[in-house]
Amino acid sequence: MMVEGHQGSPYTNPSFKKMKKNKSGQEEMVGFALIIIMVAIILLAFLGFSLRNPQSENVESYEVESFIQSVLQYTTDCENNIEKLSVQKLISSCYNKEQCLDGRESCDVLKTEISRILNESWKIGEDRPIKGYDFKIGTDKNESIVSFSQGEITNSLQGAGQDLAKGIEVIFKAYY
Amino acid sequence: MAITLFFALVGMFFLTLQVSKIRESASSLEEKNALLLVTKLANSPEFSCGNSFGLTGTSCVDSDKVMALKNNIDKYKDFWGASSIEIRKIYPSSQKVECNSGNYPDCNLIKITEEEITSEHSNFVSLCRKEFSDGDTYDKCELAKLIVGYDG
Repeated sequence: MMVEGHQGSPYTNPSFKKMKKNKSGQEEMVGFALIIIMVAIILLAFLGFSLRNPQSENVESYEVESFIQSVLQYTTDCENNIEKLSVQKLISSCYNKEQCLDGRESCDVLKTEISRILNESWKIGEDRPIKGYDFKIGTDKNESIVSFSQGEITNSLQGAGQDLAKGIEVIFKAYY
Repeated sequence: MAITLFFALVGMFFLTLQVSKIRESASSLEEKNALLLVTKLANSPEFSCGNSFGLTGTSCVDSDKVMALKNNIDKYKDFWGASSIEIRKIYPSSQKVECNSGNYPDCNLIKITEEEITSEHSNFVSLCRKEFSDGDTYDKCELAKLIVGYDG
């Protein structure tokens, strides 16, 4: 009985060895590609999560809140029979279409005072941190009492609101 | 080797991203904290209007109280932990005049404490006082900023 030598075996065949090496190389390539795809998917998921944050950042601001409170307490030169009116009382007086003791319309005084206060308190400009603002006094029935807008509206804003009697609300937004 | 290098690069990328996010939130928190401190100061008994002006809101500073405090500030040394505290009137606006017992209330800057500072934080307050007119008193509130400065 003749024992066949290994010369004829496919395992010793040089072309088979080359094929095996190629196959192993291909497997490595596929593995590497798979890892890259996995990492890319994870990367995309992370990117997706970070981009999901809302474009308009509405931050509750202590500064804006304090500003509204301070403005409402400001004493104007509009008097009624009892006292000099604060902005808060002047808003109510304007809503009721009343006049000051000196005959001026309370709404006119309110507009003038708010406009001056805003100009002095929030300096806006391209080279300043505040790019614009929006100040509104209105009612819950969407009636506007006073409204002021200056500068540009950006996606980064700080805003606050204050509810007053008779459904009146004061809203201020500062754009950065 | 290539895979390790690749992962290391991806890791570094995320690490940089996270560190920048943490820094951003730290600075935002620091600012918020400082603003809260200013608000806390404005509402402390030494500054706040209390019930003297019939106001229910916060952020009201009694300027008469503050002037009395200014004259006795030695007793409050290091009490608030701030290097400088001042109140600057914003509206009605006028030329900068520092307040003292001689010119008050015809002034617009009350310096309570003043030392070297490296950073300052401010917040809006309502600066109120009792005003006399025609033999009668009334409450007068103006718009001001409470500015707190820190060293270091």
